[in-house]
Amino acid sequence: MGIRFWSRERRRARERELQEELDAHFALDIDQRMQAGAEREEAEYSSRRDFGNVTRVMEVTREMAGGTILAESIIQDLRFAARTLRHSLGFTTVAILALALGIAVNTSVFTAYKAMVARPIDARDADQIVNIALLRSTGSPDVRFSYPDYQSYRTSVHAFSGLVAFRREDVTLSDAGGIVSQRRAAAGSFIGKLGLLSTGAINAEFASALAVSQSYFDVLGVKASRGRTFSSMSVSDLVASPSILISDNYWQRRFSRDPSTLGKMVRLNGFTFQVIGITPHDFIGSEVSVPDFWIPLALEPLLHADDKWLYDRENQCCRMLGRLASGVRMPRAQAEVNAVADRLRQLHDPHSDLAKAASALVWPGSPFPLPLKFYSGLKLTILLIMLAAAMLLFVACANVGSLQLARARSRHNELHTRLSLGASRGRIIRQLLTESGLLGLGAGVVALTLAWIFLRLLVMATAAALPPEYGTLVFQVTPDLSVFVYVMAVSLIAGILFGLAPALETSSSAISLAARGSTSSGGARRLQNLLVAAQVSLSLVLMIAGSMLIRSSINSLTTRPGYDAEHVISVSFQFPEAARYSADRKLAVIRELRSRLAALPGATEVTSADAPNDSAFSTPASTADESSGTSKTAPSIYYRYVQSNYFETLGIPLPLGRPFLSRAYIGNSVILSESAANELWPGENPIGHHIRLGAIDERAHKSNDIIADGPSYDVVGVAHDTRGVEFDGSDSRQIYLPLRYDQLTTHAVLVRTTSSAQSMRLIDGVISSVDPELLVTPAVLQDQLRLSAPFLTATLAAAISSSIGSLGLLLAVMGIYGTVSYIVVLRTREVGIRMAIGAQKRDVLSLILRESARPVVIGLIVGALLAIGAAHALRPVLFGISTIDGISLVGVSVIFFFVALFAAYPPSRRATRVDPAVALRYD
Amino acid sequence: MVDCLLETMGRPKAYKDRIEIMQGTLDMLVLRTLQWGPQHGHGIGQAIRAKSEDALQIEHGSLYPALHRLERQRWLKAEWKASESNRKAKYYSLTAAGKKQLITEESKWNALVQTIARIMNPA
Repeated sequence: MGIRFWSRERRRARERELQEELDAHFALDIDQRMQAGAEREEAEYSSRRDFGNVTRVMEVTREMAGGTILAESIIQDLRFAARTLRHSLGFTTVAILALALGIAVNTSVFTAYKAMVARPIDARDADQIVNIALLRSTGSPDVRFSYPDYQSYRTSVHAFSGLVAFRREDVTLSDAGGIVSQRRAAAGSFIGKLGLLSTGAINAEFASALAVSQSYFDVLGVKASRGRTFSSMSVSDLVASPSILISDNYWQRRFSRDPSTLGKMVRLNGFTFQVIGITPHDFIGSEVSVPDFWIPLALEPLLHADDKWLYDRENQCCRMLGRLASGVRMPRAQAEVNAVADRLRQLHDPHSDLAKAASALVWPGSPFPLPLKFYSGLKLTILLIMLAAAMLLFVACANVGSLQLARARSRHNELHTRLSLGASRGRIIRQLLTESGLLGLGAGVVALTLAWIFLRLLVMATAAALPPEYGTLVFQVTPDLSVFVYVMAVSLIAGILFGLAPALETSSSAISLAARGSTSSGGARRLQNLLVAAQVSLSLVLMIAGSMLIRSSINSLTTRPGYDAEHVISVSFQFPEAARYSADRKLAVIRELRSRLAALPGATEVTSADAPNDSAFSTPASTADESSGTSKTAPSIYYRYVQSNYFETLGIPLPLGRPFLSRAYIGNSVILSESAANELWPGENPIGHHIRLGAIDERAHKSNDIIADGPSYDVVGVAHDTRGVEFDGSDSRQIYLPLRYDQLTTHAVLVRTTSSAQSMRLIDGVISSVDPELLVTPAVLQDQLRLSAPFLTATLAAAISSSIGSLGLLLAVMGIYGTVSYIVVLRTREVGIRMAIGAQKRDVLSLILRESARPVVIGLIVGALLAIGAAHALRPVLFGISTIDGISLVGVSVIFFFVALFAAYPPSRRATRVDPAVALRYD
Repeated sequence: MVDCLLETMGRPKAYKDRIEIMQGTLDMLVLRTLQWGPQHGHGIGQAIRAKSEDALQIEHGSLYPALHRLERQRWLKAEWKASESNRKAKYYSLTAAGKKQLITEESKWNALVQTIARIMNPA
């Protein structure tokens, strides 16, 4: 403050001195001329004339007069720019907000992308960590390896200084003091409230765990914040004293940082472990969320009560990460993995996929099990979101551009005046640049704040979104500065280019036009219309994409699934592993459960089968009719085991044939869905035909060559199609196989009831009366549909694209309002003349509205065409919508048009209030 | 030195015979003029004009900026004094650095003139 005041004082003094110096010059000059015989008046006149442009001389002299003067004139420029911007506060606010929104959304989107998708492994020197997968000759990638295979890679591949294996486990927690039920936690979280989590069991507490090879923490380079890790423990140590680590996040949340937790015994899946260490806060390792517990892989047999499971070479249990040895690059590691993989496949069952040739994939470490190129849906969604963000930035730049152009024309007078007063062209350009720069700076400050707020909200939303039992999501979300600088530079350049337009246009002809208050310097006008049209069309595309995604997510909920989802409750269960139930006891418990459920008030049918929206397995199938020599094969048809009353329970009609007879439990009849029947016997009645299936063991579906060499079945019925979870509807082709009696314990119980709400309330009581140890998760099928991938994808994409689209609309409205306002100001004179010669207010209003509507309409047409293209690109993530529908296209366009007119209306009204007498004097 | 050059080229006073000051020579002319003693802006302009016998007309638009530039470079210092006609005016005078600068510029100028002369009138 002091410096500024001081420099202003000094500048004023210097200004005064320069003025006095020139005054003295004129006095001396006039004296001299009068001595030479001129009259005083003539002397004064000729002295001034010979001197030339005093203001200009003063300006140049000022600039020459000292080293500090350049800085001073910049300060002067800044002060002038600030004054100008403050003067047109409306323009400034709109421009800063528009640019700031564009910059903030882009910074947030790219930061979030880097934090969530392009994130590295949470490890020391994370750039040395690589992911490992195999790409089978069948084209399908294998990201999991069996434990014996992992051990072979660990000893044979020397390109890695360390190799770790890990797998995610959900475990039940007991003896931790009370039960924090998943259902209650789910109800308290954001995603839970949306109904996006399964309801969970009431009588058990679930926790997430990561089972890791002992060297995991050493290889990642992380130490326990308290206690120790497994690295120094051998398998026999671990078996002698089973140990686990707890994450700091879970320790804080579940045990309130109770220091006695270290060394405490807790029971996971009914087996006792000792907590020997606590991992650092937010340490996330190879995952995207912090697990609650870390368990040594070597102790998996305890968790699963199965000694062979971990050591089965066919059991692909674990993902692998390696740390490259120093100086080793990825290609060498890849070659070594390839060599070992080739040797290992000879050890696998020759019929299994694991025995097929494979090439190794080694790529920079990431929590995602495959390189991004394998996730086509995710990649498309990310691409769309980024495209939407880029479009928003473009809309923002176009917005500011059109505002600048509009202002440029209203500033012609000012610039012309300053030029004729002796300001140089360079100085004016510098002034305009300063103004744009100041605008950009303001936008940058607002944008950084906005981006920070957006990302904070995102973190808060995600933190509240997932209940603790599913782990803790951790994102690094400080706004990414490199992204910010890049986006800011782009928008600044755009702002400056448009800001310079008035200076570049100030050619002499433009000046003379401007001086006369003319409005139509055609080029700028066309550019401005173009910018408005661009804003409208891009925002329209975003809005339409958003509306289609919203319809898709509604569709995935409301499309009739082909069964009665509202009145069927799926009761899935899990036996407590510690209790070691015998097969007979399991069967007895489930029979008891079934009969108790059947006795619930309102229950009409009870059957055992997995819910139709549960993932199913597929197998090749071929027609096997002795009569005709040819057989037709479908490479992959989904199959599920059901009981005779399945179709009645779920309300699926059987248009042909009959359900299984009860003796079919041991027989070999099948029922086909209509689309499966159509594929195998197009246009024929399949009843009485025979079908041969491939391997249909649900546990070993990996080992299928594409031949249907299994037993032959009789087709006894055809059922209506049901909708599954696949986007393409491929799982509507179903083969229903009869459920064997001993399979009752491995499939959920489905209950048809007249009132699902009432039954849901009563189910918990039923369970505790059957077996309080049984972990039971009941859910109405309708609610489970919300958990399906089509719904989740469409909901997320719809939320993002429609919020970006509405921001776009907001920007477009601000742009239209601003532009029309300036057009009106510029045309005041013309409107005055029109009214003076008899135009009515109505005529003026319609004239201005018509003109403002033209670029909007052009924008809408172009936008509609682009939207059709966008709809095409969106198809893979749209559920049940094949093409763009006219209703949302026309509907959104009409809304847009009226919003645009609404934006243009207030300034147009202002034009009608022009007083012709005043307007004509306005010059 | 200047004088001798001007003598060869400049005699009459007709407007069309006036010559443009070569880029960069105005500073030297100002410094040279001030060697005769302190002078104000108007006086400097008059002196150059008189010495050149009206052949050089100094633009005030360049003179005042030049004076302020030279002052900033500390080759000139300025003080307000009463003029001969008893008006207060800003008088410029050479500083020690200014004198040194004049010598430098003069020798550079001589070298330039001789070189150009050699080209224009080969012996």
